[in-house]
Formats: sequence, C-alpha cells, structure tokens
Amino acid sequence: MAADSAANVVDAQVNSSIGKISLYEGSTQYKSWRYSPEQLERIRISLNVAAVAAIRNTFEADEPGSSSNVLFLGAGEEQLLVKLYITKIPQLCGHFRFPEEVEATAISYLKRFYLKNTVMDWHPKNVMLTTLFLATKTTNNPISLESYTSNIPKTSSSDVLDLEFLVSQSLNFELAVWHAHRALWGIWLDLQSLPDVTEDLRPQDIYDIAIKHVRASRFTDAELIYTPSQIALASLALASPLLAQRWADSKAPPGSIQPLSETMEPTLGAIKYIITQMGHPPDVEAVREVDRRLKLCKNPEKVPGSKAYLARQAEEQRRAEEKRHKKAEDVRRAITESNPFGNELNDDEKATQLAELDDDD
Amino acid sequence: MDAVEKANAERQKRWVKDRKVGEGTYAVVYQGREASTGRKVAIKKIKVGQFKDGLDMSAIREVKYLRELHHQNIIELLDVFSSKTNLNLVLEFLDSDLEMIIQDRSLVFLPADIKAWMAMTLRGLEFCHRNFMLHRDLKPNNLLIASDGQLKIADFGLARDFADPGHKMTCQVITRWYRPPELLFGCRYYSSAVDIWSVGCIFAELMLRTPYLPGESDMDQLKTIFRALGTPTEEDWPGHTKLPDYVPVGQFPRTPLRDLFTAASGDTLNLLSRFLVYEPRKRISVRDALNHAYFFALPHPSHPSKLPKPATQTSRPLEELDGNVEMAGAGPGVKANAPNKLKRKLTSPDGTELRPLARRLDFTQLAKHS
Ligand SMILES: Nc1ncnc2c1ncn2[C@@H]1O[C@H](COP(=O)(O)OP(=O)(O)OP(=O)(O)O)[C@@H](O)[C@H]1O
Ligand SMILES: [Mg+2]
Repeated sequence: MAADSAANVVDAQVNSSIGKISLYEGSTQYKSWRYSPEQLERIRISLNVAAVAAIRNTFEADEPGSSSNVLFLGAGEEQLLVKLYITKIPQLCGHFRFPEEVEATAISYLKRFYLKNTVMDWHPKNVMLTTLFLATKTTNNPISLESYTSNIPKTSSSDVLDLEFLVSQSLNFELAVWHAHRALWGIWLDLQSLPDVTEDLRPQDIYDIAIKHVRASRFTDAELIYTPSQIALASLALASPLLAQRWADSKAPPGSIQPLSETMEPTLGAIKYIITQMGHPPDVEAVREVDRRLKLCKNPEKVPGSKAYLARQAEEQRRAEEKRHKKAEDVRRAITESNPFGNELNDDEKATQLAELDDDD
Repeated sequence: MDAVEKANAERQKRWVKDRKVGEGTYAVVYQGREASTGRKVAIKKIKVGQFKDGLDMSAIREVKYLRELHHQNIIELLDVFSSKTNLNLVLEFLDSDLEMIIQDRSLVFLPADIKAWMAMTLRGLEFCHRNFMLHRDLKPNNLLIASDGQLKIADFGLARDFADPGHKMTCQVITRWYRPPELLFGCRYYSSAVDIWSVGCIFAELMLRTPYLPGESDMDQLKTIFRALGTPTEEDWPGHTKLPDYVPVGQFPRTPLRDLFTAASGDTLNLLSRFLVYEPRKRISVRDALNHAYFFALPHPSHPSKLPKPATQTSRPLEELDGNVEMAGAGPGVKANAPNKLKRKLTSPDGTELRPLARRLDFTQLAKHS
C-alpha cells in the first residue's frame, strides 16, 4: 500500500486533531478509492483495451473492415483529455462562486468516474458538468438545474441529468469525499498551538502558498494514492519545510526514536514530486489533437440516434419485456397454485397481487 | 454491457424482494432477503428521474451518510444498487420503531427500559456528533428497533455536516414537535444542540407515553413549549429576542417538571431539564449526557433483549404503514405520521434549502474562507 505506517500514524493524528479519525478510517474513500500508482495504470490500461475491443466489434458489425483505419486512443491520451476537463472545474466554480468543497468534490468524482469508464464511451465534457452538479448537492450547496444550465453556454438540462445516474452508479453511490484542503486547515490550526512555532514563523502567505499546492494536487493522481493529510503535509512542506517538520515531529508517538519528519520523507517526497511535476493544466494543443481523434473512435452505441445506439436500445427493451413476462407468469402461477380454488380467486385480489409485483427489475 | 452496469447487475442479484411493507413519501419499502444466506433485509426503493433537479436531496443525504456511518445504534446500509431509474437501498430489517412501542398501550415501560432506549439513542447520536454530523430529524418514528431489541437511528434524509462553524443553515428542519426553540425563531447558525432538544422531547415522551410538546402550528409550537417550560427571560437565553423570526408569544410561568413527571427520579428530571435548556450553548452535549449520573444510578438499563416490544409485529397490516391511518390504540387524536408530511414538503426540490442562485452567490461570498 502506498501509505507507509509512519504516514498512517500522522494521518491518524491529523484526523484525530480535527476529530474525525473514526469516520475517516471507516470511510468509503479509505476503503474503496486508494490505489498504488501501478494499480492505477493497470486499471486504466485494461479499461482502455476493453473499450477498444468492444468499439472495434461494433464498427465491424456495422460495416466489416471499417475499424482497421481507426486510430483509437491510448490510456495515456484518455488521461490527458480527462485532465483538461478537471482544470475546467475550478473555472466554472469561480464563475458560480461555489465553495471549495464543491470544486474539490466534483474533481474527485470526475477522476473516480474514469476509473470505471472510458472517454471513448462518455465524453468528459458532459461527465464534468454532471459531476459538478452532483457535487453541489452532495456537499449541501444545491442550486436548481435551471440556474445551473442557464449559466453555462450551450448546455441543456439533459446534458447534465442524463448522466447523473450513471455517474452515481460509477461512484458506487459513495458520495462523501475527504479533502486535503480541510486537512491543511487542521494542520494550520495545530501550528498555532505549538509552543516552538511563534507567530513570525507562520505568516499567512505560507498558508496561501500551501493551499495553492493543494489545489495543484487536484490536477494529479495524488488523492487516489495518498491520504488527504499526507497531501496537506507535503503541500505545507513545499511552502515551508521547517513548519512541516515542526508539525510532524510534534505528532510523533511518544518514545519513538526517529523523528517522524524523517520516517515520512519518502512519502512526502513522492507527493511533492507529483505536485510540482504534474500539478498543472495539460498542453491544450496536444489535447485538441486527442479530442479530434476521439470524434472518429468514440463508441457509436453511445451516440444517440446512431444505428448502433438504436440497435442496443431495441435489444435492451426486448430483454426487459421478456423478464417482465416471466415474472408476471411466475406470480400468476404462484397465485393459482397457492389457492386450491385458484380459478375462483376474484379478479380484484388477483389485480392487487399483480400490482404489488415490482416490475422494474 | 458496460463494466459499471455489470457490477450493478451482480449486486442486484444478491438481493431478492419479497413483499411490500410500507411506503414513505419518496420511497417504497420492501421486505426482502439476501439470496445466498436468506438474511432478512429491507429494500427501500427510491424513485428517481421524477424530480426536475435530478437525484433528490433526501436520497442523496441518506445514501451519503449511511454509506459512511457504521455503528451499532445506527441503521446499517448493506448495499446500494439501481434498477432502471430507481435507487435501491438495502438496509438491515428492523421490526418496529419506538413510536409503535410508545403507542402500544398493552406494553408497560419500566424506568430501566427507558434508560436503555435513551442510552442507545445517545450512543448512536454521539457517533454522529463526534463525526460532525447533525441528524436534524430525531423523533420516535425514526428510532427503529431490531428483533434483538437494539435501537437504531434511521432516516438520514435531513442530515448534514457541521464541520464549518458559522455556516448558515436552513431552520426548516426537524419535525415540529421535536424542533428546538432556536429553529422556531429562525436561527440559521445552529449546532448539535438542535438534536439534543429532540432527544429531550423523546425522553419526556417515553415517560408520558404521549408526545410532550405537540404544537399545532409553528407558532403554536412555541406557545406549547413556553406553556410547559416557562417563557424564557433574557437571562435564561441571552439574545433570543434578536433572532430573525422572534415574536413574543406571551408570558407563561415556569412550572416544575416534577408536576408533570410525578414518578421520575431526581437524576431523571435533572437530565431531562438539561436536554431542554433554552440557551443552545448551555444545553448538555451528547457526551456529557452519556456521563450523566442518571446512567450510573440504579436501576441499570434493561438488556436490549428484555425490552418491551409489540406482540403483533410480524403481521403489521399494510394500512398502518402508509401514514394516513390512525394507529390502533394511539393516543387521543394522534396521527402517527402527520408531522412527516411536513418534513417532506420542506425537503422537496422546491424547498427552502434550494435558494435562488442570486441569493446563494451573496452568501457564498460571505462564507468564503470561513
Ligand atoms: N429498515 C427497515 N426495516 C423494516 N421496515 C422498514 C425499514 N425502513 C422502513 N420500513 C418501513 O417502511 C415504511 C416507510 O419507510 P420510509 O423511511 O420510506 O418512510 P417514513 O419515514 O415512514 O415516512 P416519510 O417518508 O413520510 O418520512 C416505514 O414506516 C416502515 O414501516
Ligand atoms: Mg421516517
């Protein structure tokens, strides 16, 4: 696991210092949404490979030979496109003046979505709009869909709502997200009560620089690998190594020989590297090229109105119909069998029993 | 089939719906079981896709919080899956709720029973508050009882975080009879103390076997409270006359709790009075309540398995469950679910929590960097 044990100790300390240890360690984020860098890569490659194979099949079913000239996107290119849309979230949030919680949550949702889906099926533009709208609700900052879409050019309510269910499903309905900016605030409050950290050692601009690094970390995979407190501490270390060290050492468990700041160095170093090397928007020209190619290789089954889309819908309807029939038949049989005077069961009773059938699954 | 759909289909297959057991405003509840083990569960099917703003806030809150909270005295969410455009919450199956038990005139409560229910309620609530979560709808109907007697806090459709002190919140929460005076006066910066007031009302109701402060309207609620506990003075509750919706509702003298709760012990009355303190900041915290002498004095709380439970629980008729029918044996004129209707109205997509954008922008600007 990416989190080494010393870092975990710190993490527990940070969390208990803001009073949340028990919930964080039982949280869905802790359990379902942390990966090693290698795991992340594996997941993305296998999603990409599966999508390419499926789309190739669809192309071939439509017109044999038609997939041979298509240049599909690679996992890295998909990532690039997602990253571009991640960087659009802070812009939109600035426009709406949403609190930071909304922005950070929407970004986490977008990243998590693409650990279950590929951009060749679902273009990140609409997914981004949906995750942001969902985040306003899950962080308890709801606005009406009407005011949301009317403030974003060329966006209809269906662009947002059509994907809301798919997005929630992809998130596994795990909607609570723990953020590094909150952890940083917790550390900052702690610093104010450390005796050896005098006021002149902790001017406001250190916090301001640290929070900028936290924001930069949102453009990276850091939150999928490290805990919020680890990211917060690394961000502080970028702004002031001294403060980060003082704070970490103040959290060392009693009786430990090595200062905690030393044990944590490898983890913090890795996060600092990610933030400084990857924490910026992607090159727009490169992304534009990817987006251009995406138009040619996206999954036709997900393009409303296309032949493949209609075929898939018809198939789904047929299957649902079949299932409903079978279920109704089962109930009818059960009613008849359970009642020796089955044929005399009055129609009203029959109707109620059939009505109680849950016909949508 | 996409990976996401496939994963969902597999989850869905784990659970079987057997029969409908109830209906709330935004959900239908089925009894069901886990296919592999036969374990009895409740499946709450929430209709989505019928709201113009997409997934409804109550459903979102319920899923969000129950996904994270794991505690013996909080209802357990076992799984979530979707069918078409319905959201299905798989919950542990709970036979009854505290409201049914209170209203069942054939049951006799001992002080030790009341102490056990109070301890379980407070333990579940302590877990919420420790994790910076307000429940905002505590009432007997939302305290469900498992077959082994364990009490579980349920219905998180109004819950929210309160990690940000000084964050403005809606005062339109908590079913009226359990709503504290600061909310009735329109206070928008409140705290965990709001849940504590509700606990006080529930405590009183357990002793009285009828709702303690059953106001008929929001205005009448204040009057009902002051009639029971005396109109607060500036000294009791500094600054309350400056609250946004403050209105004088008349002068009522403070009558000793002892006059109504004739059989209660001194510790009991002391704890009750500390739940029902007017000044929110002086109201007892959930942690202090758990350490109150009441819980250390005799009698010890009853063991959950020994607690009274309704005899007829296995065959609750369906009409009882849909909210509009008077419960058999209910107190005079008390409709079991009437206050719920109010609550749901307030959380509708047009409800007060959903302010127009213009107002929101002002407010977020103020709240920035808070
Ligand atoms: N976990 C459960 N186990 C057993 N029965 C349950 C469970 N949850 C709910 N029920 C039953 O289903 C009914 C409806 O529950 P639901 O929570 O949807 O609505 P409610 O809280 O009763 O009403 P409202 O929506 O008006 O607040 C309940 O009254 C109860 O009888
Ligand atoms: Mg309820």
